[in-house]
Amino acid sequence: MRVPSEANLRRVIAFVAAVGIGVATYITIADSGGGHPQCLAGGTGCATVAASSYSHIAGVNIAVFGIVGYILLLTSAFFANDAARFGGFAVALGGFGFSVYLTYLEIWKIEAICQWCVASAVLMTIQFALNATRLIGYAGIDDDAPGPEEAELQT
Amino acid sequence: MSNKRAREERREQRLAEESKVESKDRRTRLLQFGAGAVFLAIVVVVILIVVNGSSSSSSSGGDAKNVKEVAEVEKLLSGIDQEGMTLGDPKAPVELIEYGDLQCPICKEYSEEFLPAIIEGQVAQGQAKITFKNFVIISEESYPAGHAAIAAGEQGLGWSYIETWYRNQGEERSGYVTDEFMTSIAKAVRVPNMKKWNEARNSPAVKKEVEETTSEALNKLHFNGTPSFAIQGPGTNGLELLGTPESVGDFEEAINAAS
Repeated sequence: MRVPSEANLRRVIAFVAAVGIGVATYITIADSGGGHPQCLAGGTGCATVAASSYSHIAGVNIAVFGIVGYILLLTSAFFANDAARFGGFAVALGGFGFSVYLTYLEIWKIEAICQWCVASAVLMTIQFALNATRLIGYAGIDDDAPGPEEAELQT
Repeated sequence: MSNKRAREERREQRLAEESKVESKDRRTRLLQFGAGAVFLAIVVVVILIVVNGSSSSSSSGGDAKNVKEVAEVEKLLSGIDQEGMTLGDPKAPVELIEYGDLQCPICKEYSEEFLPAIIEGQVAQGQAKITFKNFVIISEESYPAGHAAIAAGEQGLGWSYIETWYRNQGEERSGYVTDEFMTSIAKAVRVPNMKKWNEARNSPAVKKEVEETTSEALNKLHFNGTPSFAIQGPGTNGLELLGTPESVGDFEEAINAAS
Protein backbone atom coordinates (compact mmCIF):
# COMPACT_ATOMS: atom_id res chain seq x y z
CA MET A 1 0.00 0.00 0.00
CA ARG A 2 1.32 3.42 -0.91
CA VAL A 3 0.79 6.63 1.04
CA PRO A 4 0.74 10.19 -0.29
CA SER A 5 3.80 12.38 0.22
CA GLU A 6 4.09 13.92 3.67
CA ALA A 7 4.02 17.39 2.15
CA ASN A 8 0.64 16.65 0.60
CA LEU A 9 -0.66 15.13 3.82
CA ARG A 10 0.43 18.23 5.73
CA ARG A 11 -1.30 20.51 3.21
CA VAL A 12 -4.59 18.61 3.52
CA ILE A 13 -4.29 18.46 7.33
CA ALA A 14 -3.81 22.24 7.41
CA PHE A 15 -6.78 22.82 5.10
CA VAL A 16 -9.14 20.53 7.04
CA ALA A 17 -7.98 22.10 10.33
CA ALA A 18 -8.71 25.58 8.97
CA VAL A 19 -12.23 24.52 7.97
CA GLY A 20 -12.64 22.96 11.44
CA ILE A 21 -11.61 26.21 13.12
CA GLY A 22 -14.28 27.97 11.06
CA VAL A 23 -17.02 25.51 12.06
CA ALA A 24 -16.08 25.47 15.77
CA THR A 25 -15.78 29.27 15.84
CA TYR A 26 -19.25 29.65 14.31
CA ILE A 27 -20.75 27.34 16.97
CA THR A 28 -18.93 29.25 19.74
CA ILE A 29 -20.05 32.67 18.50
CA ALA A 30 -23.65 31.51 17.96
CA ASP A 31 -23.75 30.13 21.50
CA SER A 32 -22.02 33.05 23.21
CA GLY A 33 -24.89 35.46 22.58
CA GLY A 34 -27.34 33.18 24.39
CA GLY A 35 -28.48 31.80 21.04
CA HIS A 36 -27.64 28.65 19.14
CA PRO A 37 -26.28 27.66 15.73
CA GLN A 38 -28.82 27.74 12.92
CA CYS A 39 -29.51 24.33 11.42
CA LEU A 40 -29.98 24.29 7.68
CA ALA A 41 -33.36 23.57 6.08
CA GLY A 42 -35.26 24.66 9.19
CA GLY A 43 -33.99 21.80 11.35
CA THR A 44 -34.39 22.20 15.10
CA GLY A 45 -31.63 19.86 16.28
CA CYS A 46 -29.02 22.58 16.72
CA ALA A 47 -31.10 24.49 19.28
CA THR A 48 -31.89 21.31 21.19
CA VAL A 49 -28.26 20.23 21.30
CA ALA A 50 -27.16 23.74 22.29
CA ALA A 51 -29.71 23.81 25.11
CA SER A 52 -28.52 20.46 26.43
CA SER A 53 -26.20 20.49 29.42
CA TYR A 54 -23.85 18.26 27.40
CA SER A 55 -22.99 21.24 25.22
CA HIS A 56 -20.85 22.74 28.00
CA ILE A 57 -18.08 21.36 30.18
CA ALA A 58 -17.46 23.37 33.35
CA GLY A 59 -19.34 26.26 31.78
CA VAL A 60 -17.21 26.24 28.65
CA ASN A 61 -18.85 25.46 25.31
CA ILE A 62 -17.32 22.27 23.92
CA ALA A 63 -16.80 24.05 20.59
CA VAL A 64 -14.05 26.03 22.34
CA PHE A 65 -12.19 22.76 22.93
CA GLY A 66 -12.74 22.07 19.24
CA ILE A 67 -11.10 25.37 18.28
CA VAL A 68 -8.09 24.55 20.47
CA GLY A 69 -7.81 21.08 18.94
CA TYR A 70 -8.00 22.34 15.36
CA ILE A 71 -5.39 25.04 16.10
CA LEU A 72 -3.04 22.35 17.45
CA LEU A 73 -3.65 20.24 14.34
CA LEU A 74 -2.99 23.22 12.10
CA THR A 75 0.24 23.92 14.00
CA SER A 76 1.37 20.30 13.67
CA ALA A 77 1.02 20.56 9.90
CA PHE A 78 3.74 23.21 9.78
CA PHE A 79 6.47 20.87 11.04
CA ALA A 80 7.92 17.72 9.50
CA ASN A 81 9.28 15.96 12.56
CA ASP A 82 8.28 13.13 14.82
CA ALA A 83 6.97 15.44 17.54
CA ALA A 84 4.55 17.04 15.08
CA ARG A 85 3.59 13.67 13.59
CA PHE A 86 2.86 12.09 16.97
CA GLY A 87 1.38 15.27 18.45
CA GLY A 88 -0.97 15.66 15.49
CA PHE A 89 -1.96 12.01 15.73
CA ALA A 90 -2.62 12.27 19.49
CA VAL A 91 -4.77 15.41 19.12
CA ALA A 92 -6.68 13.94 16.17
CA LEU A 93 -7.23 10.70 18.11
CA GLY A 94 -8.53 12.65 21.13
CA GLY A 95 -10.77 14.75 18.89
CA PHE A 96 -12.04 11.69 17.05
CA GLY A 97 -12.77 9.81 20.29
CA PHE A 98 -14.57 12.86 21.71
CA SER A 99 -16.58 13.18 18.49
CA VAL A 100 -17.65 9.53 18.75
CA TYR A 101 -18.81 10.18 22.31
CA LEU A 102 -20.66 13.39 21.33
CA THR A 103 -22.36 11.65 18.42
CA TYR A 104 -23.47 8.92 20.82
CA LEU A 105 -24.91 11.64 23.11
CA GLU A 106 -26.74 13.29 20.23
CA ILE A 107 -28.34 10.07 19.03
CA TRP A 108 -29.10 8.30 22.31
CA LYS A 109 -29.26 10.95 25.03
CA ILE A 110 -30.16 14.31 23.51
CA GLU A 111 -32.13 12.66 20.69
CA ALA A 112 -31.39 15.51 18.31
CA ILE A 113 -28.78 16.01 15.62
CA CYS A 114 -26.93 19.27 15.15
CA GLN A 115 -25.61 19.56 11.59
CA TRP A 116 -22.67 21.70 12.71
CA CYS A 117 -21.64 19.12 15.29
CA VAL A 118 -21.87 16.41 12.64
CA ALA A 119 -19.72 18.54 10.32
CA SER A 120 -17.09 18.89 13.02
CA ALA A 121 -17.22 15.15 13.76
CA VAL A 122 -16.66 14.39 10.07
CA LEU A 123 -13.71 16.80 9.95
CA MET A 124 -12.19 15.20 13.05
CA THR A 125 -12.62 11.75 11.50
CA ILE A 126 -10.79 12.95 8.39
CA GLN A 127 -8.07 14.46 10.60
CA PHE A 128 -7.67 11.16 12.43
CA ALA A 129 -7.31 9.25 9.15
CA LEU A 130 -4.80 11.78 7.77
CA ASN A 131 -2.69 11.96 10.92
CA ALA A 132 -2.70 8.18 11.37
CA THR A 133 -1.52 7.81 7.76
CA ARG A 134 1.15 10.43 8.36
CA LEU A 135 2.42 8.74 11.53
CA ILE A 136 2.45 5.24 10.07
CA GLY A 137 4.01 6.39 6.82
CA TYR A 138 6.64 8.80 8.08
CA ALA A 139 7.40 8.11 11.77
CA GLY A 140 11.13 7.82 12.39
CA ILE A 141 12.20 9.79 9.34
CA ASP A 142 14.79 12.40 10.24
CA ASP A 143 13.60 15.97 10.46
CA ASP A 144 15.82 17.26 7.74
CA ALA A 145 15.75 14.20 5.55
CA PRO A 146 13.96 14.75 2.24
CA GLY A 147 11.69 11.77 2.91
CA PRO A 148 10.27 9.46 0.30
CA GLU A 149 7.78 11.05 -2.03
CA GLU A 150 5.80 7.87 -1.91
CA ALA A 151 6.88 5.78 1.00
CA GLU A 152 6.03 2.18 1.19
CA LEU A 153 3.70 1.61 4.11
CA GLN A 154 5.80 -0.53 6.34
CA THR A 155 3.12 -2.21 8.35
CA MET B 1 46.53 7.71 2.93
CA SER B 2 44.32 5.11 1.35
CA ASN B 3 44.07 3.29 4.69
CA LYS B 4 42.88 6.47 6.35
CA ARG B 5 40.29 7.04 3.63
CA ALA B 6 39.06 3.47 3.94
CA ARG B 7 38.75 3.89 7.71
CA GLU B 8 36.73 7.08 7.24
CA GLU B 9 34.47 5.38 4.76
CA ARG B 10 33.92 2.48 7.16
CA ARG B 11 33.21 4.95 9.94
CA GLU B 12 30.67 6.84 7.83
CA GLN B 13 29.07 3.60 6.82
CA ARG B 14 28.85 2.52 10.45
CA LEU B 15 27.35 5.88 11.47
CA ALA B 16 24.82 5.64 8.65
CA GLU B 17 23.83 2.15 9.76
CA GLU B 18 23.57 3.27 13.37
CA SER B 19 21.42 6.19 12.33
CA LYS B 20 19.22 3.85 10.33
CA VAL B 21 18.83 1.51 13.29
CA GLU B 22 18.11 4.45 15.59
CA SER B 23 15.54 5.78 13.14
CA LYS B 24 13.90 2.36 12.96
CA ASP B 25 13.84 2.11 16.76
CA ARG B 26 12.29 5.56 17.02
CA ARG B 27 9.67 4.59 14.47
CA THR B 28 8.85 1.39 16.33
CA ARG B 29 8.59 3.29 19.60
CA LEU B 30 6.29 5.94 18.08
CA LEU B 31 4.02 3.34 16.51
CA GLN B 32 3.86 1.47 19.82
CA PHE B 33 2.90 4.70 21.59
CA GLY B 34 0.33 5.34 18.86
CA ALA B 35 -1.21 1.90 19.28
CA GLY B 36 -1.28 2.43 23.06
CA ALA B 37 -3.00 5.79 22.59
CA VAL B 38 -5.64 4.20 20.34
CA PHE B 39 -6.29 1.50 22.95
CA LEU B 40 -6.53 4.12 25.69
CA ALA B 41 -8.93 6.26 23.61
CA ILE B 42 -11.19 3.26 22.97
CA VAL B 43 -11.25 2.44 26.70
CA VAL B 44 -12.05 6.06 27.67
CA VAL B 45 -14.87 6.37 25.10
CA VAL B 46 -16.39 3.04 26.14
CA ILE B 47 -16.24 4.04 29.82
CA LEU B 48 -17.89 7.40 29.07
CA ILE B 49 -20.67 5.73 27.10
CA VAL B 50 -21.26 3.05 29.75
CA VAL B 51 -21.31 5.63 32.57
CA ASN B 52 -23.75 7.81 30.64
CA GLY B 53 -25.88 4.85 29.65
CA SER B 54 -26.28 3.77 33.26
CA SER B 55 -27.29 7.25 34.42
CA SER B 56 -30.90 8.40 34.25
CA SER B 57 -32.57 7.15 31.13
CA SER B 58 -33.38 9.83 28.59
CA SER B 59 -36.65 8.21 27.61
CA SER B 60 -38.09 8.38 31.13
CA GLY B 61 -37.93 12.19 31.18
CA GLY B 62 -37.32 14.38 34.20
CA ASP B 63 -33.65 14.68 33.32
CA ALA B 64 -32.33 18.02 34.52
CA LYS B 65 -29.10 17.50 32.65
CA ASN B 66 -30.77 16.96 29.34
CA VAL B 67 -33.68 19.26 28.55
CA LYS B 68 -35.11 18.21 25.20
CA GLU B 69 -37.35 19.60 22.47
CA VAL B 70 -36.57 23.21 23.35
CA ALA B 71 -36.40 24.16 19.70
CA GLU B 72 -39.68 22.43 18.89
CA VAL B 73 -41.42 24.47 21.58
CA GLU B 74 -39.66 27.63 20.42
CA LYS B 75 -40.89 26.97 16.89
CA LEU B 76 -44.46 26.22 18.04
CA LEU B 77 -44.75 29.42 20.06
CA SER B 78 -42.77 31.62 17.71
CA GLY B 79 -44.49 34.92 16.90
CA ILE B 80 -47.32 34.37 19.41
CA ASP B 81 -47.73 36.79 22.32
CA GLN B 82 -47.13 35.49 25.84
CA GLU B 83 -48.33 37.53 28.78
CA GLY B 84 -48.27 36.03 32.23
CA MET B 85 -49.71 32.55 31.78
CA THR B 86 -51.69 33.51 28.69
CA LEU B 87 -50.70 32.60 25.16
CA GLY B 88 -52.09 34.54 22.22
CA ASP B 89 -53.32 37.97 21.30
CA PRO B 90 -54.54 39.66 24.52
CA LYS B 91 -57.41 41.10 22.45
CA ALA B 92 -58.52 37.69 21.16
CA PRO B 93 -62.30 37.39 21.73
CA VAL B 94 -62.20 33.85 23.11
CA GLU B 95 -60.27 32.66 26.14
CA LEU B 96 -59.66 28.93 26.59
CA ILE B 97 -58.53 28.14 30.12
CA GLU B 98 -56.60 25.00 30.99
CA TYR B 99 -56.52 23.87 34.58
CA GLY B 100 -53.49 21.64 34.64
CA ASP B 101 -50.88 20.06 36.86
CA LEU B 102 -47.34 20.05 35.59
CA GLN B 103 -46.82 16.52 36.93
CA CYS B 104 -49.93 15.20 35.19
CA PRO B 105 -49.15 12.77 32.35
CA ILE B 106 -52.52 13.35 30.64
CA CYS B 107 -51.78 17.10 30.59
CA LYS B 108 -48.54 16.20 28.82
CA GLU B 109 -50.51 14.24 26.22
CA TYR B 110 -52.83 17.18 25.66
CA SER B 111 -49.89 19.52 25.43
CA GLU B 112 -48.20 17.37 22.79
CA GLU B 113 -51.13 15.97 20.84
CA PHE B 114 -54.08 18.38 20.94
CA LEU B 115 -52.93 21.87 21.83
CA PRO B 116 -50.29 22.36 19.09
CA ALA B 117 -53.03 22.29 16.42
CA ILE B 118 -55.07 24.88 18.35
CA ILE B 119 -51.99 27.05 18.97
CA GLU B 120 -50.93 26.96 15.32
CA GLY B 121 -54.50 27.55 14.20
CA GLN B 122 -57.03 29.57 16.16
CA VAL B 123 -54.52 31.05 18.63
CA ALA B 124 -52.00 32.15 15.99
CA GLN B 125 -54.86 33.62 13.95
CA GLY B 126 -55.98 35.74 16.91
CA GLN B 127 -59.35 34.05 17.35
CA ALA B 128 -58.50 32.66 20.78
CA LYS B 129 -55.97 32.85 23.58
CA ILE B 130 -55.14 30.09 26.05
CA THR B 131 -54.53 30.64 29.74
CA PHE B 132 -52.87 28.04 31.92
CA LYS B 133 -53.96 27.86 35.53
CA ASN B 134 -52.29 25.57 38.03
CA PHE B 135 -54.57 22.94 39.49
CA VAL B 136 -52.41 21.01 41.92
CA ILE B 137 -53.80 17.52 42.17
CA ILE B 138 -50.94 15.02 41.83
CA SER B 139 -48.77 15.85 44.84
CA GLU B 140 -47.13 18.63 46.82
CA GLU B 141 -44.28 18.70 44.32
CA SER B 142 -46.62 20.31 41.82
CA TYR B 143 -46.67 23.50 43.89
CA PRO B 144 -43.04 24.52 43.31
CA ALA B 145 -43.47 23.48 39.67
CA GLY B 146 -46.44 25.82 39.34
CA HIS B 147 -44.55 28.62 41.08
CA ALA B 148 -41.64 28.20 38.66
CA ALA B 149 -43.97 28.41 35.65
CA ILE B 150 -45.70 31.56 36.92
CA ALA B 151 -42.31 33.13 37.66
CA ALA B 152 -41.28 32.44 34.04
CA GLY B 153 -44.61 33.95 32.97
CA GLU B 154 -43.66 37.18 34.71
CA GLN B 155 -40.83 37.42 32.20
CA GLY B 156 -43.05 36.60 29.23
CA LEU B 157 -42.14 32.92 29.02
CA GLY B 158 -44.92 31.17 30.89
CA TRP B 159 -46.02 29.00 27.97
CA SER B 160 -42.47 28.33 26.86
CA TYR B 161 -41.86 27.05 30.37
CA ILE B 162 -44.91 24.78 30.67
CA GLU B 163 -44.64 23.41 27.12
CA THR B 164 -40.95 22.63 27.63
CA TRP B 165 -41.76 21.14 31.03
CA TYR B 166 -44.36 18.77 29.57
CA ARG B 167 -41.93 17.63 26.91
CA ASN B 168 -39.42 16.77 29.62
CA GLN B 169 -41.86 15.62 32.26
CA GLY B 170 -40.76 12.75 34.47
CA GLU B 171 -42.83 10.10 36.17
CA GLU B 172 -45.32 11.63 38.62
CA ARG B 173 -44.23 11.66 42.28
CA SER B 174 -40.84 10.25 41.32
CA GLY B 175 -38.95 13.14 42.88
CA TYR B 176 -37.74 14.63 39.62
CA VAL B 177 -39.24 18.01 40.49
CA THR B 178 -36.08 19.43 42.00
CA ASP B 179 -34.60 22.92 42.04
CA GLU B 180 -32.09 21.64 39.50
CA PHE B 181 -34.82 20.44 37.12
CA MET B 182 -36.88 23.62 37.45
CA THR B 183 -33.78 25.74 36.91
CA SER B 184 -32.75 23.68 33.89
CA ILE B 185 -36.12 24.29 32.25
CA ALA B 186 -35.84 28.02 33.00
CA LYS B 187 -32.36 28.14 31.49
CA ALA B 188 -33.42 26.09 28.49
CA VAL B 189 -36.21 28.52 27.63
CA ARG B 190 -33.76 31.37 28.26
CA VAL B 191 -35.47 33.21 31.09
CA PRO B 192 -33.62 36.52 30.82
CA ASN B 193 -33.26 37.30 34.52
CA MET B 194 -32.68 34.16 36.58
CA LYS B 195 -32.28 36.11 39.83
CA LYS B 196 -35.69 37.71 39.34
CA TRP B 197 -37.15 34.31 38.40
CA ASN B 198 -35.80 32.78 41.61
CA GLU B 199 -37.19 35.60 43.71
CA ALA B 200 -40.58 35.43 42.00
CA ARG B 201 -41.05 31.69 42.40
CA ASN B 202 -40.46 32.01 46.13
CA SER B 203 -42.66 35.05 46.56
CA PRO B 204 -45.87 34.88 48.65
CA ALA B 205 -47.90 36.37 45.78
CA VAL B 206 -46.95 33.58 43.37
CA LYS B 207 -47.54 30.89 46.01
CA LYS B 208 -50.93 32.40 46.77
CA GLU B 209 -51.83 32.41 43.07
CA VAL B 210 -51.30 28.65 42.77
CA GLU B 211 -53.39 28.03 45.88
CA GLU B 212 -56.15 30.25 44.53
CA THR B 213 -56.31 28.66 41.08
CA THR B 214 -56.28 25.20 42.64
CA SER B 215 -59.10 26.19 44.96
CA GLU B 216 -61.00 27.76 42.05
CA ALA B 217 -60.79 24.55 40.01
CA LEU B 218 -61.70 22.33 42.91
CA ASN B 219 -64.25 24.29 44.92
CA LYS B 220 -65.75 26.76 42.47
CA LEU B 221 -65.71 24.85 39.18
CA HIS B 222 -65.83 21.40 40.81
CA PHE B 223 -63.29 19.86 38.47
CA ASN B 224 -62.00 16.56 39.73
CA GLY B 225 -59.11 15.86 37.39
CA THR B 226 -56.49 17.37 35.14
CA PRO B 227 -56.45 18.67 32.55
CA SER B 228 -59.83 20.39 32.73
CA PHE B 229 -60.83 23.17 30.40
CA ALA B 230 -63.19 26.11 30.50
CA ILE B 231 -63.96 28.73 27.87
CA GLN B 232 -65.36 32.23 27.69
CA GLY B 233 -66.11 34.56 24.83
CA PRO B 234 -68.87 36.57 23.10
CA GLY B 235 -70.76 33.35 22.33
CA THR B 236 -70.79 31.99 25.86
CA ASN B 237 -72.80 32.84 28.88
CA GLY B 238 -69.86 33.71 31.10
CA LEU B 239 -67.41 30.93 31.84
CA GLU B 240 -68.50 27.62 30.35
CA LEU B 241 -66.97 24.37 31.48
CA LEU B 242 -65.67 22.03 28.80
CA GLY B 243 -64.31 19.34 31.07
CA THR B 244 -61.84 17.28 29.09
CA PRO B 245 -62.43 17.58 25.31
CA GLU B 246 -61.45 14.42 23.50
CA SER B 247 -60.13 15.71 20.21
CA VAL B 248 -58.70 18.71 18.40
CA GLY B 249 -62.09 18.97 16.66
CA ASP B 250 -63.85 19.32 20.03
CA PHE B 251 -61.54 22.22 20.94
CA GLU B 252 -62.03 23.91 17.57
CA GLU B 253 -65.79 23.52 17.80
CA ALA B 254 -65.87 24.97 21.31
CA ILE B 255 -63.77 27.96 20.24
CA ASN B 256 -65.96 28.59 17.20
CA ALA B 257 -69.08 28.37 19.32
CA ALA B 258 -67.62 30.82 21.83
CA SER B 259 -66.60 33.33 19.15
